[in-house]
Amino acid sequence: MRKPSRPRPAAGVSVRQAVPLGLVLLALCGCRREAREVRLDPPVAAALAGVAAMPNGIGGRPPEVYFVLGKPYRGNAYQLSEGKRLYAWFGCPECHRDGEGSGRGPSLLDGWWNHGPGIETIYLSIRDGRPGGMPPYRTRLTHEQLWQLAGYVQVLGAYSASAAAPGRSDQVQSRPAENRAPARFAPLEP
Amino acid sequence: MTHDRRDTGLGDLALEAALRRVWAAAHGLWGLLATVDHKAIGRRYIATAFGFLILGGLLALAMRWQLSHPEARLLDPDRYNQVFTMHGSNMMFLFAVPVMEAMGVYFVPLMVGTRNIAFPRLNAFSYWVYLAGGLLLWGAFLLEMGPDVGWFAYVPLSGPQYSAGKRADIWAQMITFTEISALAVAVGLVVTVFKQRAPGMTLDRMPLFVWAMLVTAFVVILAMPAVVTASTALILDRLVGTHFFNPAEGGDVLLWQHLFWFFGHPEVYIIFIPAVGMVSTIIATFCRRPVFGYLAMVLALVGIGLLAFGLWVHHMFTTGLPRLGESFFTASSMAIAVPSGLQIFCWLATLWGARPRLAVPMLYVLAFLFTFVLGGMTGVMVASVPLDTQLHDSYFVVAHFHYVLIGGAVFPLLGAIHYWFPKLTGRMMGARPGRWECLLVFAGFNLTFFPMHILGLWGMPRRVYTYQPELPWAGLNLFASLSAVLLAAGFLLFFWNAWRSARHGAPAGENPWGAPTLEWATASPPPPWNFTRIPVVGSASPLWDSMGELTVAEGLRTDRRELLVTSVMDATPEARESSPQDSIWPLLAAIATSVMLVWSIFTPWAVVWGSIPIAVTLIGWFWPRGTPEDES
Repeated sequence: MRKPSRPRPAAGVSVRQAVPLGLVLLALCGCRREAREVRLDPPVAAALAGVAAMPNGIGGRPPEVYFVLGKPYRGNAYQLSEGKRLYAWFGCPECHRDGEGSGRGPSLLDGWWNHGPGIETIYLSIRDGRPGGMPPYRTRLTHEQLWQLAGYVQVLGAYSASAAAPGRSDQVQSRPAENRAPARFAPLEP
Repeated sequence: MTHDRRDTGLGDLALEAALRRVWAAAHGLWGLLATVDHKAIGRRYIATAFGFLILGGLLALAMRWQLSHPEARLLDPDRYNQVFTMHGSNMMFLFAVPVMEAMGVYFVPLMVGTRNIAFPRLNAFSYWVYLAGGLLLWGAFLLEMGPDVGWFAYVPLSGPQYSAGKRADIWAQMITFTEISALAVAVGLVVTVFKQRAPGMTLDRMPLFVWAMLVTAFVVILAMPAVVTASTALILDRLVGTHFFNPAEGGDVLLWQHLFWFFGHPEVYIIFIPAVGMVSTIIATFCRRPVFGYLAMVLALVGIGLLAFGLWVHHMFTTGLPRLGESFFTASSMAIAVPSGLQIFCWLATLWGARPRLAVPMLYVLAFLFTFVLGGMTGVMVASVPLDTQLHDSYFVVAHFHYVLIGGAVFPLLGAIHYWFPKLTGRMMGARPGRWECLLVFAGFNLTFFPMHILGLWGMPRRVYTYQPELPWAGLNLFASLSAVLLAAGFLLFFWNAWRSARHGAPAGENPWGAPTLEWATASPPPPWNFTRIPVVGSASPLWDSMGELTVAEGLRTDRRELLVTSVMDATPEARESSPQDSIWPLLAAIATSVMLVWSIFTPWAVVWGSIPIAVTLIGWFWPRGTPEDES
């Protein structure tokens, strides 16, 4: 049997170098959305409490560690789905329903935020409560859980769906699921 | 038709030169990517599948390490979920099914005496789609996006509410890749077996391996649509928010299990039936007599293929089904022991007094007989509802299905690789390392998996990432993990042996084992056109009965790729048919299909926009080019 001779590239990046390189690049951009940190390091968990709030409790700056972690509570699928579970477990639907709101609590779906759309403001709203009936949850949830819930609530009211957003629940549906894109790719959209 | 050139009266050298002109693939990268030769594709299919076997084996070793002592820290729970899911999905969908079909792709056209598989471009397409599916799964695993819901991905766990992110979608779409490639191969195999057999190879002269691949191909065609439906419904539930599996909106969770196992149980036989064909082939050759009870063997194969569709519910005994249904499926599960047992007895009758040559393939067959019978016994045990209720989801089940899958399919496969290695590479595989590797694999396997029966009876559940020191499982787990090293050493020796023999093995002649079937009537490895002249068959063991002289057919054209189409029952020649030329379009179509499928994990509109490139590539694929092959 005759062996075909294999020409070798003289210079530049060979296939053997390019494949692992490409995989590493892919891993760097893809790993954060699907990674699952089920148990935070205690110092990291403690640092999550360090949000710098404005005196009126509206606006501020998330702790440095939130950025170091890569904003997981807004873009990580697992963290968002944890937020969704907390939303159901801690009675949020009592007032906010599935996001559409009720007489007791404002809608979270309509893109209107009474205290501003920033994630740190939503975090402060959940942590400290707001006038008009929103109770504080700082004694009921850990800071990590507060961030998970804040991230989920922010996704609820987002204008464009992200690939990390949770899917529908196994329940009777009152609205499209969080991951339903508002028909951005629809060919017949005006 | 007046000016065509025929092979009638041509000398061997002139004929081979003419055939080389029309059948040989182009040199270089282009030739590799465009070839539609079933041997080139079959070889790379087999190599890729064994590559996935190595990867899946490494995952298994990681799991055994993690379970070797209580509270081990090698894998965290999330990683462990991904690892066991990857191991199962990879072994079932990227190794076992593809490797069996690949053996069919390579050997069925040779065994029925034709020049290429039917629909060769579809066959090439199938390989590229399969490769893309494997890369998708393993790429996702590297991105921490590996599926983590078990290889059968039960809803509601894999549904939109409980599986965050795209992990379950990766699994479901990887299934789609495997479905497409398996169906493409199955269709080609059925047509090859029915319409391209050598003249005179009536259905009752067909080699048992060809029968096995025929039954397998039909099982694939009938079983895959169920899982197509299921995985598509799962993706729709997750991405679009449909309610196939949402009980609150009228869906049904058990629907998933029914659809999946209606495919999943036949899947086991898709893996097992080709292995049975390999065993029959090897036993006949090394006993130097045809397998006892040909008719019974064929009927048993067909019977297994039919019964395979009637016992899927035995995977669901603990889901609270009606008692009558459970009894029925217990009975049908036990019924499949009848054709399986029939085959065992036919093999034993063939071995009886035959003084078989104990070459390496035969040793693997003996390992198969022992191990598979044991796995079959535990299969009858878990087929009974009360016992299954106790053993369900325990390590007993893990032990059972590794016994039937490794004992029933991988041992024959390793034997078949040894047996057909000359046909694949032109060289013999080393016999001395072969005997050691067989011993290591057999001993390592039994020592690893037999203790798992006991662990299961002691209550160890499957899919636990660790266990507490207070539980009595540590000793046997450590023993199983150490034995797994032995098993891994056996596989390592096998791969080293294959690697070395492919380069430095003793050159094999046309028929080193003195085997009776047609694949041994041509060079090792066969030329691109397989047979210089199409053989004409007069018995079930043509090379034994022809006394060195094989009758051949003449009159085929030499200026285009041409093969002989024969009738389904009697294989009487019906027509000369062209076989398509090499083409790059199957690769391009596979790339377009892969892009569409991966994209559709993220947005349903991918199905709309992604279908345009697919249409373009299909048009290119079928565009007439005025070659001689295009003439009717």
